Amino acid sequence: MKIAVLVKRVPDTTSVFKIADDNASVVTDNLKYVMSPYDEYAMEAAIQLREAGQAEEVIVVSLGDESCKETMRTALAMGADSGLLVKCDGAGPTSRGVAEALAAALKNVGASLILAGKQAVDDDASQVAERIAELLDCPHASVVSRMELVGDTLTVDREIEGGKYTLELPLPAVVSIEKGINTPRYPTLPNIMKAKRKAIEEQDINALGLDAAVLASHITVEAMALPRQERLTNVLEGDNETRVATLVKALREEEKVL
Amino acid sequence: MAETFVSMRNLKFLIYELNNAEALCAYPYFEEHNREIFDLVLDTALKMGTDDLYPRFVEMDREQPTFDAGTISVNPWLREFMAACGEGGWIGANAPFEHGGQQIPDTVMVAFRFIFGAANYSASAYPFLGTGAALLMISFASRELIDTYVPNIFAGKWQGTMALTEPHAGSSLTDLKTTATRTDAGYFNLVGQKIFISCGEHNAVNNIVHLMIARIEDAPAGIKGISLFVVPKLRPCADGTLESNDLICTATFHKLGYKGAPITQLEMGEHGDCRAWLVGEENHGLSYMFQMMNEARVGVGAGATAIATAAYYASLEYTRERAQGRPITAKDPATPQIPIIEHADVKRMLLFQRAITEGSLSLIIYCSNLIDRIHAGPAEDKERLELLLDFLTPIAKTYPSEMGILSVSTGLQCLGGYGYCDEFPLEQLYRDIRIHPIHEGTTGIQGMDLLGRKVTMKNGQALMIYIEEITACIEKAKGVEAIAAEAQQLEEALAQLQQLTMHLGGLAMKGEIDLFLADATLYLEYVGIITMAWQWLWQATVSETALADCDTEGDTNFYMGKRYACHYFFRYELPKLQGLATRLQQSDGLTLSMQAKYFED
Ligand SMILES: Cc1cc2nc3c(=O)[nH]c(=O)nc-3n(C[C@H](O)[C@H](O)[C@H](O)COP(=O)(O)OP(=O)(O)OC[C@H]3O[C@@H](n4cnc5c(N)ncnc54)[C@H](O)[C@@H]3O)c2cc1C
Repeated sequence: MKIAVLVKRVPDTTSVFKIADDNASVVTDNLKYVMSPYDEYAMEAAIQLREAGQAEEVIVVSLGDESCKETMRTALAMGADSGLLVKCDGAGPTSRGVAEALAAALKNVGASLILAGKQAVDDDASQVAERIAELLDCPHASVVSRMELVGDTLTVDREIEGGKYTLELPLPAVVSIEKGINTPRYPTLPNIMKAKRKAIEEQDINALGLDAAVLASHITVEAMALPRQERLTNVLEGDNETRVATLVKALREEEKVL
Repeated sequence: MAETFVSMRNLKFLIYELNNAEALCAYPYFEEHNREIFDLVLDTALKMGTDDLYPRFVEMDREQPTFDAGTISVNPWLREFMAACGEGGWIGANAPFEHGGQQIPDTVMVAFRFIFGAANYSASAYPFLGTGAALLMISFASRELIDTYVPNIFAGKWQGTMALTEPHAGSSLTDLKTTATRTDAGYFNLVGQKIFISCGEHNAVNNIVHLMIARIEDAPAGIKGISLFVVPKLRPCADGTLESNDLICTATFHKLGYKGAPITQLEMGEHGDCRAWLVGEENHGLSYMFQMMNEARVGVGAGATAIATAAYYASLEYTRERAQGRPITAKDPATPQIPIIEHADVKRMLLFQRAITEGSLSLIIYCSNLIDRIHAGPAEDKERLELLLDFLTPIAKTYPSEMGILSVSTGLQCLGGYGYCDEFPLEQLYRDIRIHPIHEGTTGIQGMDLLGRKVTMKNGQALMIYIEEITACIEKAKGVEAIAAEAQQLEEALAQLQQLTMHLGGLAMKGEIDLFLADATLYLEYVGIITMAWQWLWQATVSETALADCDTEGDTNFYMGKRYACHYFFRYELPKLQGLATRLQQSDGLTLSMQAKYFED
């Protein structure tokens, strides 16, 4: 069995973000880019399935320009066997566009299981995995915090408000992963070096019969604004002694008024 | 806690823009590497530092290792960490492939050790003590010893240590008393005591392997009678099991800082059954140690720089947030208070820290790059670079250690009262950094090493090479407008250095060795300042060129910061040379004629 893991290159959320002069995009100079953290859990889940002998191959798939390869190398260093970069330069496609391009590319990959993070931490849209499942006509489970594969059936727990929801899905399936399902491993130095030799295949979206302009055309960003700084309400928990201690600590260390 | 403890932007500036680490990959030994690999290694180290080491920085200080009946219990996470360092290949990163290493350049290894050290210096000591011990074995021990011990150390299963110090032999290792007696069974029997041995006993690993110096029973007196041994806590038997080697830990010491890593007192051969295996040849122990000394001492400088860097970022963050006072010219008390980073004196304190920490890191990366070029570069450069590294080593050990203390102290000052309290990391960093001028040769010993050995060796060749390197840097800087004046100043300082060295050398020629070395520590301080000025001039030369065609705000700020830090060093620190030069020229032997008895009352 082959597993495809969808990985997105996103700005590190600890970066300082500035809105560009056009008021509709973010200044990208000096941003540090990383693999979207939820995708790390998906990567780890895939590698664990392979290590358990339930999959033969893990392929990391990403859409974007050449720079995505850096993020894909991290996935290869974690343990993916190979990579597929769906190349799309220029204006960023919308979630729908990304899903269309990836679905087209995935048709040729032959993966029985497609894993993704539950959402990407840059736009938080949580759409790509769902749309791909629809386009490939296979079942999908989102926000998955446990996964078990027996034969061709995948049993998953979905995190829902106040509880869990257990589902069974026949393969092939698309699953998007919640954090906490595992502890993503750090790349090891030997694997970092091996990653250099692993192949990243490139496939241009034009070759898939798609057009970057069309993929980017579904949504126009009118304006962007940084969130207004609002006072956070923080309800202190515990007994009186703990609450007072927490409060004093917050007044000292966060508010610096004591 | 503060969010930042290192700047990857600065680290990469030093590694790539200054030292061009990618060029190392052209040498056959490093040909498996490229920048992508280096970046991924450093990014992974930062992730480990951020997610695992830094969160345990305070906890490992407050909950110290405990000693009970010969065993020391350390923070339970350390077992996991050692295993992760083993599996991750971090411990043996710079070792050759054939010994299970990754042949990572020292330039990169020192950088990730720096990241770990800034996140949590105590934690970082465990794996990298093993690195030093294993590399020593790889260089000089028999294949059998290497095969028995090195893979276990690199896997993080066994702890490697360096066991030199004894109660009567600290700075003066020639006076050590631990004695090895020959047997017919291929090993020696050892009797003796060691003190202050870092990580000499703990429960995060399954065995401890000491690289220990001792004197063989009939060895000549002095430095030429010291041999190097492998002495395990548990010795491997033929059937693969481990049995006690009559080496026990009798105490641990309560230290000022760096509390997460224990230092131990060890007793060998209480029951006459402590076996020691000779490394290399008899009586060559200290010379083997010396061959690893440069790396070890540069490593200490890196550790000091790491701690001072964490302090710098913690204080920077605080000064941006803490509002106190108003601009001197603003008289209206109704106006809001301003962040203290706006005050000139606070900016001075931040610039001081930046000048010390980034100057030190620059020297550390440069020295590590020399180690790589000596090891893997063209044979014809080797001798010259070795001399240069030998010369720079006492400086790379001492400047970051001594000035790092002042830098952390200044960081602490930036926080006012909170700097003194344990809600913020500064007080701990202040305690943690204090070890560095002491271990791996005290500052006093480094001063004598520089003036008494390095300056004079090979007829002063090392000093000449040092001066040539700096002169080449000055020539380049002269053409850069923003730092041309600084280039001129450094040229004058170099002339003064030569004149001072001639003066001191004159004393040595007259046979007044006492006088010649009496103020060796001051001489080391003097050369340290010149070395830093050189590193800053070099950084500024590169960053001014980059500034000329840089188009992003972030880069512009970074390079402007470099310009200011360089100017700061030249205008605030370089003038200190004059005071030192005045004293060094006097050579009146004040400390020699002072009598111990005059200290009474
Ligand atoms: C936290 C910690 C970790 C350590 N880890 C290890 C370890 O892992 N392995 C190990 O072997 N050792 C270790 N040590 C020991 C350390 O290397 C020694 O403490 C150090 O070398 C100094 O020796 P000493 O303590 O005997 O001081 P001394 O040698 O007694 O020195 C005391 C003072 O006298 C000065 N002095 C001594 N001799 C001279 C001289 N000839 N001329 C002028 N001044 C002189 C010194 O500069 C110093 O200021 C560690 C020590 C500490 C505190």
